[in-house]
Amino acid sequence: MDLTYKANGTYTEVLAAGRLNMVSAPKLRTFVADVVASGSNRIVVNLGETTFMDSSGLGALIGCLKAARQAGGDLRIAAVQPQVKMVLELTSMDRVLTSYASAEEAFGDD
Amino acid sequence: MTDIIARRHFRDKAAEQSIEAVHNQLDELWNDASFVPELDRLTFTTAVIEAATNVVLHAVPDSPAPVELGVDIWIKAQSLRAQISAFGAADPELDADAAGMPGPDAESGRGLALIRALVSTVTFARQDGTNIWILSRDATPA
Repeated sequence: MDLTYKANGTYTEVLAAGRLNMVSAPKLRTFVADVVASGSNRIVVNLGETTFMDSSGLGALIGCLKAARQAGGDLRIAAVQPQVKMVLELTSMDRVLTSYASAEEAFGDD
Repeated sequence: MTDIIARRHFRDKAAEQSIEAVHNQLDELWNDASFVPELDRLTFTTAVIEAATNVVLHAVPDSPAPVELGVDIWIKAQSLRAQISAFGAADPELDADAAGMPGPDAESGRGLALIRALVSTVTFARQDGTNIWILSRDATPA
């Protein structure tokens, strides 16, 4: 999995490309923790190029969400692909990790 | 029709690089079984990776030798079947029936419940010192 980020004014977009599994889940946690520690607490994880996510990856996203909220911000996800959408729905985590069509829309309401 | 149309076999150390190798095999497998609908590919791949990951993360060796992960997959016209084995692992005394989804704050513990939601049947057995999961998914009617 390739992880990159870009500051977009009011939020920071984290792009996660590849498989979000037990191998990459710890890397995502560390990556987002570093972004939050650098002062960005409004995070959008762009999953447009995330081809696969399992429960390890989902656990990492939940950990990242907690980290952002503990820093007084929030974490949202965008551009979810069919396999990731399926895992979110089967675990009912789509109610907690709201998905937006694009990173721009994720914090578009506030 | 019960003929096997495509199959894959994997056996190596129960380590994280094996998860990527199994996933690559699954991606190749769908090229050999292009008739399998997208939904069945997504669900079955996810279930197999969840079970294999469970072995890598949780299997405890029952001797000084490390645990090995085995993954065997058979594709038939009407069903997808996988056997995930933990060779040389101690009995996990798993209560697979008790596995439910944890609360929304939990960062782990969803794997078993997710597997059960993804496939038609899940069985777990211990045979000759090996823990064996058998996952089966009936093909989605066209």
